[in-house]
Amino acid sequence: MQEEIMSAKNQALAQITSAHDNTELEQIRIDLFGRNGKITDLLKRIKEVPGDQKQQIGILLNDTKKTLESLIAEQKNSFKENVREWFDPTIPGILPNIGNLHPTSVVINEMFEIFKHMGFSIMEGSEMETDIYNFEKLNLPKDHPARSLQDVLYIEEPDVLLRSHTSSVETRVLEKLKPPFRIVVAGKCYRYENVNASNNSMFYQFQGVALQKGLSMADLKGTLFYFAKEFFGHDRKIRFRCKYYPEVEPSAGLDLDCPFCKGKGCTVCKGRGWLEMLGAGMIHPNILKGFGYNTNEISGFAFGMGLDRIVMDRFKIKDIRSLYNGDIKYQ
Amino acid sequence: MKIPLNWLKEYVKIPSSESDLTHKLSMVGHMLDKKEVVDGQTIIDLELRGNRADCYSILGIAREISALYNTPVKNPKTLPKLNIVSHISDCNLTVKTPLVKRVMMVVVKDVKIMPSPKWLTDRLKAYGVDPINNIVDLTNYVMIETGEPMHAFDLDKIGKNLEIRLAKNNEVITTFQDIKLTLTSDDLVWAGEDGIYSVAGAIGGRYHSIGDGTKNILVEAAGYDRANIRRTVHRHNLLTDAGIRHEKELDPNLVETAFGRFIYLIKENGWGKVEESVFDYYPKVVKPWKIKVSGQKIKNLGGVEIASTQIKKILKALNFQVVSFKKIFLEVLVPTYRTDVVVEEDVIEEILRIYGYDNIPVKTLSLEIPSVVTPKFIDEELSVKNQMVGLGFNEVISSTFVKEKLLNLNLLLDEGIAGKVELSNPPSPDNKTLRMTLLPNLFEFVEKIINERGVSASLFEVGKIYFKDKGKYIEKRKLGIISWNKDGLVFTKFKGLIDAFFLKNNIRELDFSSVALNAEVDQTFSISIDREIVGYGGKINDIYFCEIDLDAILEKVRPASVTLWPKYPPQIEDHNFVFPKKTKIGEVIKTITTEGPIIKRVDLVDVFKDTYTFRFIYQDSEKTLNDEEVGKVRNKILQKVKEKFGGQIKE
Repeated sequence: MQEEIMSAKNQALAQITSAHDNTELEQIRIDLFGRNGKITDLLKRIKEVPGDQKQQIGILLNDTKKTLESLIAEQKNSFKENVREWFDPTIPGILPNIGNLHPTSVVINEMFEIFKHMGFSIMEGSEMETDIYNFEKLNLPKDHPARSLQDVLYIEEPDVLLRSHTSSVETRVLEKLKPPFRIVVAGKCYRYENVNASNNSMFYQFQGVALQKGLSMADLKGTLFYFAKEFFGHDRKIRFRCKYYPEVEPSAGLDLDCPFCKGKGCTVCKGRGWLEMLGAGMIHPNILKGFGYNTNEISGFAFGMGLDRIVMDRFKIKDIRSLYNGDIKYQ
Repeated sequence: MKIPLNWLKEYVKIPSSESDLTHKLSMVGHMLDKKEVVDGQTIIDLELRGNRADCYSILGIAREISALYNTPVKNPKTLPKLNIVSHISDCNLTVKTPLVKRVMMVVVKDVKIMPSPKWLTDRLKAYGVDPINNIVDLTNYVMIETGEPMHAFDLDKIGKNLEIRLAKNNEVITTFQDIKLTLTSDDLVWAGEDGIYSVAGAIGGRYHSIGDGTKNILVEAAGYDRANIRRTVHRHNLLTDAGIRHEKELDPNLVETAFGRFIYLIKENGWGKVEESVFDYYPKVVKPWKIKVSGQKIKNLGGVEIASTQIKKILKALNFQVVSFKKIFLEVLVPTYRTDVVVEEDVIEEILRIYGYDNIPVKTLSLEIPSVVTPKFIDEELSVKNQMVGLGFNEVISSTFVKEKLLNLNLLLDEGIAGKVELSNPPSPDNKTLRMTLLPNLFEFVEKIINERGVSASLFEVGKIYFKDKGKYIEKRKLGIISWNKDGLVFTKFKGLIDAFFLKNNIRELDFSSVALNAEVDQTFSISIDREIVGYGGKINDIYFCEIDLDAILEKVRPASVTLWPKYPPQIEDHNFVFPKKTKIGEVIKTITTEGPIIKRVDLVDVFKDTYTFRFIYQDSEKTLNDEEVGKVRNKILQKVKEKFGGQIKE
């Protein structure tokens, strides 16, 4: 019987300590001390114990009863103390100031990351430039027809100007760095424009230049395709075609299928099915020769694109001016 | 340029699929801009390459299609041979400048001026030119067909002595559109005894052009110095059909092609008696030029190996005559209309273009990776931006220019005597003056937020400022911080944000001092590190701002570092002080913290009227401090504060 008592006690102890609430405890209490409870039953059966053990078993059974009763009471009390305060998790939180990067910075950073994977470094250059570095050294002599596409903002006519493209950094880099190098640049450029929703006299360009023995149109194509797929998505169609830029020869252009009509032709793409994304090509031999390079020994490529339209598409902004006039509302 | 396909079909067989045609043309450099159907006929509008003067013609595009589809060009009927002379009796021409490369003239007598027949007006309308009369229309027709602009004078109005010369300054011409142009000495003109008859290569004059009563005409076509014409065209806004062709490098031999065709059509239609003799001024005859192309370079630049048979075939299709073809290099003669093909690389582009850019492989940049040359400040600029974002500021990018109404704030925040930079050709007064500080634009942005009923504004900009110093143009990179709060922003909160920015860069030893700046700004202060000023700030209305020189702080930025929690407990005590007016609390704290190594930190925890509560934290990293050790230092501090600042302990 001693064993029976011990086993009942241990089982009860385990049940009491793991009980979750008063109802459960009450059930345990009834199971132990109720009319047909285990302990009640044992107490009834004490008369069956042989006389010489009766006293010892009696003490044990009483102790067990006391222990279990007090444990149940204790446990009940602890439930009382633990009653949690009601709280409302749906109440609004108090926000700290949340800072955000400008959409243009977001896009530039993403592009930089992609080009870093391909071994490009990041460069920067002056916005106040000379005609020589903005045009002359880029195979764009005075009165070149391509200059009429870039009406320039002058500080001192005709020599000091605000750069009309980031290609000015290309000339600076060709002068300063020793090949091999791969660099990308993002920055402000300026042109004389009739300001409207899609043209601003200040805009952003993204430019890349690589100079290294053995570079070819296939490397250029590979670089641009990798970028376009990473940045615009692997599902976009890409068109790599011949185009004209005086700074490069052979020259190329990269178009992406129009995301609005999937290449069928719509008002956004003027029915072309394609959107012009960037201009590129192998650096013109006149430029390389101008910096003292032998074009039989080294070659390079360059590419450039306007950033604002990409930013506007990404952030669903319709007017280029809102990017830079404080109209942007964050969150 | 608009190409009516019906017209094009006369000279070359075009594929049945129009979209295949326009796709291929786009791929070789003539992008389809628009396609339209007018009166049942398709017109494709191509965005032409600026260096392809030869393509500004139906025949030019026909040649491109011929090369693309390997189909011959059917040249239009022309006069087989012209009777070329150097002088014609009806009119004498003197060319007074080397800017003229070639001139041809012919006299047509007893012309019948009348409206053009339908075939001609239909063609011109499809292209987009209004018909005038048969002669003018025919000159336009030949121009669109061949690419060479032509012009007809009324022979009886121009007199016997013509000259091509540079205009005198302020000479005037009234164009046939009745627009008066005042010319400069850089404008090339056709002139006679009684003034200027036309602006060369651009536009005809009103009084000497042909009209309904014209009986005899002088027709001319010419080749000029491209750059000169371009300047004139842009100076006087003369982007006429002639102007856009002459500003590009036209082939002087095209003049003869156009003449043959024009005379043929006059005769064929019976519109006048063409004089036998055709005047030709052509001092320097242009012949096909030779270019040597290295076979290796084709492969190196193209990134693809093209079979020599294919190279030959492509060159032939483009009318390039291959004069020699060896393994190492080949030599070609370039047709004179291809004025864009000058160097070896131009020929390589031609080969690749027809070979197909689609066939160039997509190669992963597999060459040795060059070393990273990103300047340190670029990475740091990015990290500065991220730190500001982390502090709850929104990044803005503002204009390089300062609006006229904000120019009073556009002063360099520095003692340096520097000049502002202005545009010499500003598009508007608001886009004229370059910013010398980020303040005016940031200020405008915050005002905008206030007007939009915002409750707070925390903005920053990382950007350049521009000024002129000792004759040099200088750009400096700045961090502009601006903050406003509807409930009122106190200086200590704003300063805390600046402190936090510097702490993120592990810079602790900042000094803020009062300085005199722009009179528009209140509470002006400077920020220095190691006695070097790195920024300025102040308050306008309720708006706090500061501008930090990024180049100056770059060298001060220290790499991130950490310490461990000390093992021995600190002793912490609060003291209330009363100070005389105008006491600099920053100086008091600095004095306290320099009193021995165990005073680890002093914080200002409360200010009530003139009472300042400081919390002193004593701690030793090696042992637990006892009261005696702390008491010694405390006494020294209280003594010093009293002596130096007159600060009294208040119990």
